[in-house]
Amino acid sequence: MHRRITLALAAMLVIAGCGGAGDQGGGGSGGTAGAPPSTTGFDGTTIKLGVLSPLSGPVAVIGLPLTAGNKIWFDALNQRGGVAGKYKVELVQEDTQYKPDVTVQQYNKVKGNVVAFTQVLGTAPTLAVLPQLKTDKVLAAPASLDALWVREANLLPVGGPYQIQVINALDHYLTDGGGSKDAKICNMIQDDVYGEAGLQGLQYAAQKYGFSIANTQRYKTGTENFTGQIQALAGAGCQMVFLTATPTDAGKIWGTAAQAKFTPRWYAQSPAYASAMSKSAITPYLQQTTLIVAEGTEWGDEKVPGMKDLVARTAQFGPGQQPDYYLAFGYNQGRAMTAVLEKAVELGNLSRDGILNAMNQLGRVSFDGLTDDYQYGPVESRNPPRSSTLFAVDPTKPFGLKTVKYNTTSDAAKAFEFQKTG
Amino acid sequence: MAKPHRNLVRDYRQDLRLFGSPAARAGLAAMLVTLVMLPMVVQDDFWLSVLVYVGITAVGAIGLNLLTGYCGQISLGHAFFIGAGAYVTGWAGGELGLPLVLWLPMAALAGGLLGAVIGPFALRLRGHYLAIVTLGLVFVGEHLWRNFRGLTGGNSGTSVNAPVSLGPIDFNRVELAGEVYSRNQGYFWLVWALVAIVALLVKNLVRTRPGRALQAVRDRDQAAEVIGVRAGRYKIGAFVVSSAIASVAGALFGSYQQFVSPDEWNLLLSIQYIAIVIVGGLGTVFGSILGAVFVGALPALIDRFGDAIPGVRTSVGGEGFISVFALNQAIFGVLIVLFLVLEPRGLAGIWLRIKAYFKSWPFSY
Amino acid sequence: MTAFLQNCFAGLALGSTYALVALGFVVIFKSTGVINFAQGGLLALGAYLGYTFSNNLLLGFGVAILLACLAAALVGAGFERIVLRRMVGQPPFAVIMITIGLLFILEPVITAIWGFDNLQVRNPWNINTVELGGLVFGVKDLWTIGLTTAVVIGFFAFFKYSPLGLAMRVTAFDPEAALAQGISARRVYAVSWAIAAALAALAGIAMAAGPGGLSPSIGFIALAAFPAMIVGGMDSPGGAVLGGLVIGLAEALTRGYQDQLFSWAGDNVSIIVPYILMIVILLIRPYGLLGTKDVRRV
Repeated sequence: MHRRITLALAAMLVIAGCGGAGDQGGGGSGGTAGAPPSTTGFDGTTIKLGVLSPLSGPVAVIGLPLTAGNKIWFDALNQRGGVAGKYKVELVQEDTQYKPDVTVQQYNKVKGNVVAFTQVLGTAPTLAVLPQLKTDKVLAAPASLDALWVREANLLPVGGPYQIQVINALDHYLTDGGGSKDAKICNMIQDDVYGEAGLQGLQYAAQKYGFSIANTQRYKTGTENFTGQIQALAGAGCQMVFLTATPTDAGKIWGTAAQAKFTPRWYAQSPAYASAMSKSAITPYLQQTTLIVAEGTEWGDEKVPGMKDLVARTAQFGPGQQPDYYLAFGYNQGRAMTAVLEKAVELGNLSRDGILNAMNQLGRVSFDGLTDDYQYGPVESRNPPRSSTLFAVDPTKPFGLKTVKYNTTSDAAKAFEFQKTG
Repeated sequence: MAKPHRNLVRDYRQDLRLFGSPAARAGLAAMLVTLVMLPMVVQDDFWLSVLVYVGITAVGAIGLNLLTGYCGQISLGHAFFIGAGAYVTGWAGGELGLPLVLWLPMAALAGGLLGAVIGPFALRLRGHYLAIVTLGLVFVGEHLWRNFRGLTGGNSGTSVNAPVSLGPIDFNRVELAGEVYSRNQGYFWLVWALVAIVALLVKNLVRTRPGRALQAVRDRDQAAEVIGVRAGRYKIGAFVVSSAIASVAGALFGSYQQFVSPDEWNLLLSIQYIAIVIVGGLGTVFGSILGAVFVGALPALIDRFGDAIPGVRTSVGGEGFISVFALNQAIFGVLIVLFLVLEPRGLAGIWLRIKAYFKSWPFSY
Repeated sequence: MTAFLQNCFAGLALGSTYALVALGFVVIFKSTGVINFAQGGLLALGAYLGYTFSNNLLLGFGVAILLACLAAALVGAGFERIVLRRMVGQPPFAVIMITIGLLFILEPVITAIWGFDNLQVRNPWNINTVELGGLVFGVKDLWTIGLTTAVVIGFFAFFKYSPLGLAMRVTAFDPEAALAQGISARRVYAVSWAIAAALAALAGIAMAAGPGGLSPSIGFIALAAFPAMIVGGMDSPGGAVLGGLVIGLAEALTRGYQDQLFSWAGDNVSIIVPYILMIVILLIRPYGLLGTKDVRRV
C-alpha cells in the first residue's frame, strides 16, 4: 500500500514536471492577417470570456441582472454568427460574493481558460485583481462607473463615470431646473467608495459653477432610521440635495423626507433607483421632487435603435428578465468587449498581447444610443461619454422612468479630467 | 528485558517533547516535504491562491486560538487587528519601501501594541460580554479606517506594494536552479513557512510555564490566582501575542492581495475566524490549521464541483430551481452544522480519535 | 426643541426595533446559554413570509403578521428539535457555531425563494403620518412602538403568571433542579426558540413595511441589536428593552447633532455610538444595566 502511494506521488511529480510556473501565459505569436491561431481561452472556434460577479450574497441584486445583460448580448451575437461572424462566445461565470479575496481566487481559477474578462463587478474587487491583470497582461471590463478606470490600460470601462453624472445633474439644476448658484445645494452620500465618487463630482461642480456645498450627510448602508440626516438637511435649509445611494437606503431616505414634509429638489445617481419605487407609497413624493440622472434612454423607447434591439433581445434570450438599469449596463459591456474582440480578430491575434494591442488600436465605439459613444485607444487619449440623461418617475412607463432631458452634455463635464489610479 | 512499548512515556520531560516519538518526527518530515513540493506539483493558480489565503487565515487562526482556546478569552475583534497589520504593511512596506524583514515585524509590533491597549478590557469583562465588546472594536475600527485617510486611503482603499524579498529570494518571482517560479508559488512558500514558524512558536509557548498559566486561567481564573498565577497579566499577554500574530496575518493578506479597503475588516471576517477556531478545535494549534483548510478550501471545493449536482442552475439565465452559487453557500452552512453535531470537539477531535486508534493498535476498542 | 423631540421620537422607534430583536437574543440566551447568531436570518425569513402572506395570498396585514410570526416560530422550534437538541451538554462554542451555520443556510434559501430584488410589502402604514403639536409622527413608527410595548407587557405577564413561563424561569435558573421537579427542559428550549423566532419575525415585518421595502440585507439589523442586548444585560428581558431604547435614543440623537457637536470625530459617528456607549457602560457595570452578576467560585 505504502509503495503504491509513493509510486503514485512520484508519477505525479514526473507528470507535473516538478517545476516552476513563472513564465506561463502570454505567448501566442500571431500574424497581422488570416485566422487567429488558437491560444489561451480560444480553441480556434469558440472564444471564452470570464465573468467575475457577485452571484450570491447581498450584492447579487446587481450582479445577477448585470450578468444576464452580458449573456443576452452574447447569445444574440452568437445567433448572428459570433465575433466577426464566425467565432462563438462562451461565458465562464464565477461567483465573487463581492469579496476582494474571493475575487482574486476566482480570477486565478479562470484566467487560464479565458481570453479576457467581460465583467469584474465592484470597485474593491477590481482594484484587488488589477495588479494581477497587469502582470498577466489580461484585459477586463469593470462593472462600475469609477473615474479611476479610464486611464488603466488593462481595463475596458463602459459608460460615463459617476462624476460626470453629478456634474451634468448640477448643470441641469442650475439651468433648466430653476436653481441658482446661491441656492443651498447639499448632498447625501453613502459612506464608501461609491459615495466618494458622488462627492468628488459635486465638489468639482461647486468649483466650476461657483457655489458652495451647504451640507453633506453621510450614512452607512443598512441604516434603519434616517430622521437625523433628514432633519439636518432640512435644518440647513437645503433646496437641492444630490443623493448617492442604493435602492433600499434611498427608499428609506425618501420615505423619511416625505414624512417630514421636506421637499427639496432631489437629484439621484442612477443606482439609487429601483423600478419597485415607481409602484410604492413614495411614488407621489418622487414624482413631485425627484430626478434621476443616468445614461441612455427610457426602457422601451422605440426611437433609439439600441433600446429597440435590447428590448427585442431581452424578450428572446432572457424572457424572465425585468427591465433593469444593470441589465443594460451588462449588455453594453458585451458590446464593448465584442468591439475589442473583432479588432483582435481583424489583426489576427487573440492572445493576451493581441487583445491589449487591439484595445490600443480600437477607436470610437458606438452603443446605439444606450450610452454615448466611448473613445477607446491608448489610455492617454481615451475619452468616456460626457453626456447624461435626466429621468423623472412615471409609473406608466415599463421601468417607471420617463425621459426629461436626453443626452445632455455640460461644458463642465466636458472639461473634467480623468487621472490615473493613485 | 523486553523493550518498552513505543508509546510508553516515562517522565514529564519526555511527555512535553514536541516531536518525541518516531511517528511524530516522520509526520513532521512528511509535512515539510509536502510544503516544499506542493507548489511544484499543484501548479494550478486557483488552488495555489486558495491555499495562500488558507495559509494566511491559518496564521491568524493560530493567534486567535491562543487567546480563545488556550486563555479562554473570546474575541470577535480579530478583524480589527488583521486590518491594522495590512495597513501598517501598506505604509511601512509600500510607502517607506522597507524590506520584508522590517515590515513584517513592524506589523507584528503594531498589532501587539493595539492588543496591549485592548487587553485590559478583558480584566473587567468576562465570557460573552467580552465577545460582544470586542465586536464593538470591529465597528469602531471600521470607523477609524474610513476616516484615518492618511494611512488607509479612506473609503477608496489603498494599494499595498510591499517588497517581498528575503536576501536573494524574491517571492514574487523565485528563481531556483534555473527554474522560475510564479508569484503564487513563491507566496505559498512564504506564507506556509510562516504558518510553520508561528505554529512552532505558539506550540512552544503553550507547553512552557506561561502556557500552563494560560490554561489555568482559562479553566478557572480565580483558582489560578489562588495558586499564584497572575491572571490579569496573562490575559493581557495573551491579547498582545494573539493580536501581534493577527497583524502578521493581515500583513501577509495585504501584501499578497496588493489592495485593501475598509469594507474587508468587518464582523464577517471575525466570525469566519471564530468559525475556524471552533471547527478546528479549541486549544489545539494543529486544529487551527485544519480549521483554516476546512473553512477556506471547502467553499472552493464546493464551487469547483457544485455544478455536478443535478437540477442546479449553473449560470445566470440557465435552467434550475436554485443557482449553484446560492447552493454553495447553503451547502457550506449545512456541512458546518452537520459536522459540529457529529463532532462537537472539531476537526482536532477527529484527529485525536484517529491518533488514539493507532496508538493503541492492535487493541483499538 | 421641535428638532430635539423629533429626534427623540426617531430614537424611540429605532429603539423599539432593537428591543424586539434583543429580546429574542435574551430569551434564547437565558434558557440555553447560547448567543443565537441566526437571529438576523430568522428576522429576514419572517419578513419575507409576511410579504408572501400579505402580497401573494392577499391576507389582511394583521393576519399576515400573525401568520408570519407563527410560521417563523415553527421554523425556530423545528430547528431546535432537529439540530440543537442533539447538542445538549456539548460545549456552548459548538452550539454558537451551529447557529452561525444556520445563518449561512437561511440566507441562500431566502434568496432562492424570493430573489434579490427590492420588494414592497402591501401594508396600511407606509409613509402615513400623524401630526400633533408641530411634531410629525410616522404611523409605522407609532405602530412599532405600540407593538413593542404590547409584546413586552405580554412577555412579562407570560413569564410571571403562566405555568410554562414559570417553567422557563426555573429552567434558566437551574436546569437540573428543574428536571428534578419534572419540568421538561426540551419543551422549554423549543418554546424559547419559537418565541425568539416570532419576535424576530415581528421586528422584520415592522421594518419591511416602511418605504425602504424588503431586501435580503434586512437581517443586518441583528448585528446592530447586539449592543442593546449587552447594555441591558444578556440574561435580562427588562434589560433588553431598556438597552434597546438607550441605544436607539443615543444613536438618533448623535445623528441629529452630528454637525453641531460631533464633527471633530469624523463623519457618521452615530453608527459607532452604540458600541462606544456599550463599552463604557460595561466598564462601569460588567454585567450590563440589569444583568445578573455571575457568582464566581474557585
